[in-house]
Amino acid sequence: MASRSTRVRLVVSVLATVVILAPLAWLWQSSLVGKSYSVMGMGTLDYGGGPVAGHAHGATDRSVTDFVVDDARKANVRVDLVAEQQNLAIGGRSVAGYTLNGTSPGPTITAHQGELVEVHVRNASVKTGITLHWHGYDVPAAMDGVAGVTQDEVPIGGEFTYRFVANQVGTYWYHSHQVSNEQVIGGLFGTLVVLPKTGRSAAVDVVATAHTYAGMKTINGVAGDLKVPAKPGQQVRVRVINTDNGPIESWADTPLRVLSIDGYEINSPTDVTDRSVTVTAGGRADLGVTMPTDGRAVRVQVSKGTAVILGADAPAAPPQPATALDLLSYGSPAALGFDPAKANRRFDYSIGRRPGFVRGTPGLWWSINGHLYPHVPMYVVREGDIVIMHIDNHSGQLHPMHLHGHHAVVLARNGVAATGSPWWMDSLNVLEGETYDIAFVANNPGIWLDHCHHLKHAAQGMVAHLMYEGVSTPYQIGGTPDNQPE
Amino acid sequence: MKTAYRVLAYAIAVLVAVQAAAIGYAVFAQLHWIEEGGTLDEASFESAPGFGATIFHALNGGTVLLTALALLIVSFFAKIPHGVRWAIIVLACTVVQIALGTLSRLVAPIGAVHGAVALVLFGVAVMAAMRVRKPAVVEETVPANVA
Repeated sequence: MASRSTRVRLVVSVLATVVILAPLAWLWQSSLVGKSYSVMGMGTLDYGGGPVAGHAHGATDRSVTDFVVDDARKANVRVDLVAEQQNLAIGGRSVAGYTLNGTSPGPTITAHQGELVEVHVRNASVKTGITLHWHGYDVPAAMDGVAGVTQDEVPIGGEFTYRFVANQVGTYWYHSHQVSNEQVIGGLFGTLVVLPKTGRSAAVDVVATAHTYAGMKTINGVAGDLKVPAKPGQQVRVRVINTDNGPIESWADTPLRVLSIDGYEINSPTDVTDRSVTVTAGGRADLGVTMPTDGRAVRVQVSKGTAVILGADAPAAPPQPATALDLLSYGSPAALGFDPAKANRRFDYSIGRRPGFVRGTPGLWWSINGHLYPHVPMYVVREGDIVIMHIDNHSGQLHPMHLHGHHAVVLARNGVAATGSPWWMDSLNVLEGETYDIAFVANNPGIWLDHCHHLKHAAQGMVAHLMYEGVSTPYQIGGTPDNQPE
Repeated sequence: MKTAYRVLAYAIAVLVAVQAAAIGYAVFAQLHWIEEGGTLDEASFESAPGFGATIFHALNGGTVLLTALALLIVSFFAKIPHGVRWAIIVLACTVVQIALGTLSRLVAPIGAVHGAVALVLFGVAVMAAMRVRKPAVVEETVPANVA
């Protein structure tokens, strides 16, 4: 028979085991999200100091599916796309990936301001289903192309039609937002260019979509440099689109001007000679170059590994400038069109990293405002609100933050106010240790993702949402169809 | 329970050795790739050789932590002299090691400490395993014949 001390020891051992395992079991259980769930019930409602919405969903509630362009309006630009899962020929190698109309990137969609764009997509063979998200384009909510939030994934044999009015001039891109951490990396994307009604402003207009396929740097899906004819004295516009998960640096061997960032024109851009231009993951930068009158070619490095060669020669790669252009003080100030001082909602988006469970898996995970997915903020706004968001990153890694459906203007970085041209953006490179204050007008009702565009980070739970009061979604993450937006 | 304690402790030592092997492979695979003309940045990092090993390193670090927790729980029942103490030392060392690895992303020189503490963790795991001694062989004493 066991002695008293043995029994006491056993009880203490069991208690100690419970003390260790019980909190872990509780954390594990609270991280589970179920087979399917709605983003509506996810996380913590954050009203940012503004009016609190009523919880009752009355007859005035609207679904994201209600936000569409008038069906009666005829399309000016109509594009048919077929998505396939197949091998790509890149740099002499065969790489597993995805195509749209047989190529990666898919076709560049070009429209003029004010035209109605209609894109019909059919999934021919992508096993995990697809969607198309219009990155940086402030489309109506039903057209945002996020599986499980604004639509269901399009299965093999399925189709979907996106319709939106091309009100914003500039350089944008579209990509799948279903299993995006695999499909975008694998090439399921393309470029959207919206020109002013008056047409192209530069004599030479180059789309340079940068993407890394299986470690190979490409421009427009081709490994190596892109050669473009250009004559002395001509104005050239190079539209750099970064479709990768990390930032790229662009620079040239002749003075360049940053004409626009994320589709928005820079006011009074000046020549940049000794700086590179950071193009954040998902972001775009239109670079302006005047061809030298002496007839020499110009080399615009799109990233360290690839370049656009303008002209006939093959100039050597210029050394990379040691520092990057600071957009906070580039160009000249201009009116914003709204007053951030009148903001009625102020949100924090604090990015950290801590141990815990996400979807039942233990690990070191990204946190938003101290919490792990799915216990992340649901930022609630009302149409017409002026919103300020304070972003700070103490997670140890950089994060390219992307807000859907809106463009925000940078007010300050690390507490230093912006002094240059209004820096409108939809994708923001937030380095470790940095803080940003950004502002936007809540003028596009819907439910919008506000996430890291390092798509692996997003898949690891670095996703919050911006929700308009009274707007709901009928779609679910997971389940059948199996919507997996990240 | 004694066997479980010893197996878990040795497993931690083996996992630490595997950690070192994985990160060693990753560094040299990436160097080799760069020397062959590859460009290493955030975008290409994930498709460059060695990336899988770095991901394995991160995940396997979690496995070490779970194994150390299991060692602590087993130690409560294993009745090994100072077994709980050594299990706590192993667990504490593992937590410190993971913290150092995480902080290395912020301050690179901490990575050097992370590498050195791996040896300490390996050592304390082996020491813990060696706390489990085989039962002493009892020798029969044969009375000497008295003439």
